[in-house]
Amino acid sequence: MSFNIFEAFKYRRKKTFIHSLDPRTKLALAIGVSALSIIFTELIILLIIFISLIPLLIIAKSIKEWTGTVKGLTLLIVFILFVNIVFNGLSFAVSMVLRIFSLITAFSLFFLTVHPDELSQALIQMKVPFSFAFAMSMAIRYVPTIAREAQTIREAQMSRGLELEKGGFTQKIKNFIPIIIPLIVSSIRRAVSIAESLESRGFGAYSNRTYLLPLKMKKRDYIVLITLLAAIIISVIIKFVVGLPPLLLLSIPF
Amino acid sequence: MPLIEFENVSFKYGDSENYAIKDINLKIDEGEFILLTGSTGCGKTTLIRCVNGLIPHFHQGVLEGKITVNGYLTTEQTVAFLSTIVGVVFQNPENQLVSLNVLRELAFGPENMGLPREEINNRINETAEKLELKHLLDKTPIELSGGEQQRVAIASALTLKPKILLLDEPTANLDPKSAKMIIELLGALNKALNLTIIVIEHRLELLMDYVKRVILMEHGRIIADGRPAEVLYSDEAERSGVNIPRLIRVFKKLKQSGVNLIFNPVTISEGVDALKVMSRC
Amino acid sequence: MLEVINVSYTYPSGDTALKNVSLKISDGELVAIMGPNGAGKSTLVKHFNGLLKPSKGKVLVDGVNTTNMTVAELSRKVGFVFQNADHQLFAETVEKEIEFTLKNLGLHENLEELKVKALEDFDLIKYRDKSPFSLSGGERKRVALASVLCANPKTIILDEPTAGQDLVQKNNLLELIRRFHSEGKTVVIVSHDVEFIVDINPRIITLVNGEILCDGDVQDVLANKMILEYSSLTPAQITEFAWRICEELKPLPNNIITVDQLIEALKTHIIGGSL
Ligand SMILES: Nc1ncnc2c1ncn2[C@@H]1O[C@H](COP(=O)(O)OP(=O)(O)OP(=O)(O)O)[C@@H](O)[C@H]1O
Ligand SMILES: Nc1ncnc2c1ncn2[C@@H]1O[C@H](COP(=O)(O)OP(=O)(O)OP(=O)(O)O)[C@@H](O)[C@H]1O
Ligand SMILES: [Mg+2]
Ligand SMILES: [Mg+2]
Repeated sequence: MSFNIFEAFKYRRKKTFIHSLDPRTKLALAIGVSALSIIFTELIILLIIFISLIPLLIIAKSIKEWTGTVKGLTLLIVFILFVNIVFNGLSFAVSMVLRIFSLITAFSLFFLTVHPDELSQALIQMKVPFSFAFAMSMAIRYVPTIAREAQTIREAQMSRGLELEKGGFTQKIKNFIPIIIPLIVSSIRRAVSIAESLESRGFGAYSNRTYLLPLKMKKRDYIVLITLLAAIIISVIIKFVVGLPPLLLLSIPF
Repeated sequence: MPLIEFENVSFKYGDSENYAIKDINLKIDEGEFILLTGSTGCGKTTLIRCVNGLIPHFHQGVLEGKITVNGYLTTEQTVAFLSTIVGVVFQNPENQLVSLNVLRELAFGPENMGLPREEINNRINETAEKLELKHLLDKTPIELSGGEQQRVAIASALTLKPKILLLDEPTANLDPKSAKMIIELLGALNKALNLTIIVIEHRLELLMDYVKRVILMEHGRIIADGRPAEVLYSDEAERSGVNIPRLIRVFKKLKQSGVNLIFNPVTISEGVDALKVMSRC
Repeated sequence: MLEVINVSYTYPSGDTALKNVSLKISDGELVAIMGPNGAGKSTLVKHFNGLLKPSKGKVLVDGVNTTNMTVAELSRKVGFVFQNADHQLFAETVEKEIEFTLKNLGLHENLEELKVKALEDFDLIKYRDKSPFSLSGGERKRVALASVLCANPKTIILDEPTAGQDLVQKNNLLELIRRFHSEGKTVVIVSHDVEFIVDINPRIITLVNGEILCDGDVQDVLANKMILEYSSLTPAQITEFAWRICEELKPLPNNIITVDQLIEALKTHIIGGSL
């Protein structure tokens, strides 16, 4: 199940309006939406926020992946719902779940449509040091490779009769030693050989590194950003200055 | 002046008591295509690391003697500087393809060098064209087959426009057809660009049509170095236990049984020629 | 006996790696599985010891459906040696490495006996108290083999045993495979190494795109241009040489594959006169 969650946050190459936006725009969008869904506690508003994200998912052709994420998180969501119903009542619980849905949606939209290389380029242009941004994109690059390797090691040890589920608690932890040690050994070997290859292509040698594909904000990015900003400002004004009309304060009556 | 020169070079890894290579003397000219072979642990990878400066800059240890590449002493240059002269392709392309798409992979070296964008784009186009990678530019390494991955690894070394390309068992994990295609590609690059190539390989027969020189190592030393016919028909080759191509084994056996050979064939074409001569007399 | 009956396999990621594969391997057979990268060779053999269970169809080991058995249970019958020794070795000493397997498989009674036999068989007695990590690549490979085969399984699977190996290591392996075969064990080898396979002289199954393309002996497969082409294989050097001789010089018997066959043919057909 955990694998599914990871899959659902993984970038998919597609050609859509959302994919073509600058990663910084999408980051702002994710953060903006998160901020809104934290500021507001009202059920109806949270519902509006969540519903307004659905068209974005549709435009990004990412409904299927998003459903995957949500499915993967079902257990967590049910748990939150249950705990909140018990301690805070149904209305609060539903708001809480809607809020979590919005957060998940905002960020999975980000990760599903931002190529990790673009993300690191965005970080670099936001003045994060190159080596840090590069390390992050390398980490993303090698997650599937190392996951595959861990799987191979597990299979290799199972072929020697290792049974992971066998035994009591301490035995279960011990069962992982034959997997962890080879994984560490091969990851170190891999790290050395990656380092050799980076070194052999001049990684980090010169300070005037070129970035072949610099990010440029386009008109569409400004449009999205301005819309987002307007939405935030209006919401804040309504919430803190004008006050919410009673219709929006409705909640489930128990 | 030779492009690569080793003078009495020995090297011992930091944590080791024995020399990994010992008393290496070697001269390699521009445009040569060389096969480097010998049993496991004989020092082939170590020798290659010396050429591009990974030894002594990345792998520390005791380095004796003098290594010159394109006129530069490797000890006095950085690996980054040497990478514009020497490209390296390692056995496992997984560990060499560090970007998430092919385009960025090809750009990686030139970007590190700080070359202008236009120049980088030109190099990518040129290399992708030559290595037939155009249709793969936006794929991630995981989406590529083993042979394609290795072609991308070669391409990403070539975008630095090196004079020398070193390959450490580039075909070890490839199916026979992909392996053959990689070797053919190297042959073509050697001809078209006059690229100097050194390949480490255990399956010698793959390379017989292309290489003009074989270097044979044993226990850290070079024990034979010359034309393929010289080296592979030598007693050293027999003794050191390299995997002598079977065509050569056929002719060696024929010789032992008293057949007269006017030359020692190494390729299939040469083999056919030799038989033609024999069948005539 | 291994029976694969209409097996398809799809990875959780959605890649279908086997499509309706059926085959039967009898006791004592020597079989090589060949074919291009990504053809599904590893996927297929992982079904033999239950690491993978078919998405469709069934796999029978000695008549028993693998779906109902754990990998540990199957491992007593089917030993699976992975390509990379580094993926298996973890214990403090070579001896403990072997004990690990024997204990896991519940072979406590004759543990000592089996352990010593494995150490002897793989020439590891002198390393028994050494750390596997201090050994050379070739020695580590032997420890990995010993650590699977110590349980004395009736069937042995070797996935890419020769990649990156030199002649001495290959010859050791060749000798080992011949020994297993003469002991009546079933041996299944997945390999890209045409020359090595010629030496083993097994039944060859080629797999392409998750489907069996052909199934025959070395002559049938490795001397057949069409099959080689479609299986992404290249002919052994001797075979290619013989073909060229036929084209340019004189016809030779079909299906020449080994050094000795070629010498024999050359002596009778081409250079008889010059001897
Ligand atoms: N990074 C290292 N640190 C310490 N010793 C090393 C290192 N790399 C190699 N050696 C040792 O140096 C010697 C030569 O190794 P090298 O890798 O050059 O051999 P090789 O000919 O490339 O072998 P193979 O065919 O197995 O790749 C070996 O004894 C090896 O154990
Ligand atoms: N763990 C996995 N998850 C998802 N897909 C996989 C996994 N392992 C293999 N595959 C896919 O299944 C197909 C068959 O792979 P498999 O490893 O069986 O091929 P192979 O014939 O052994 O190839 P090679 O010669 O490269 O070892 C490939 O397309 C591969 O990408
Ligand atoms: Mg090496
Ligand atoms: Mg495989």
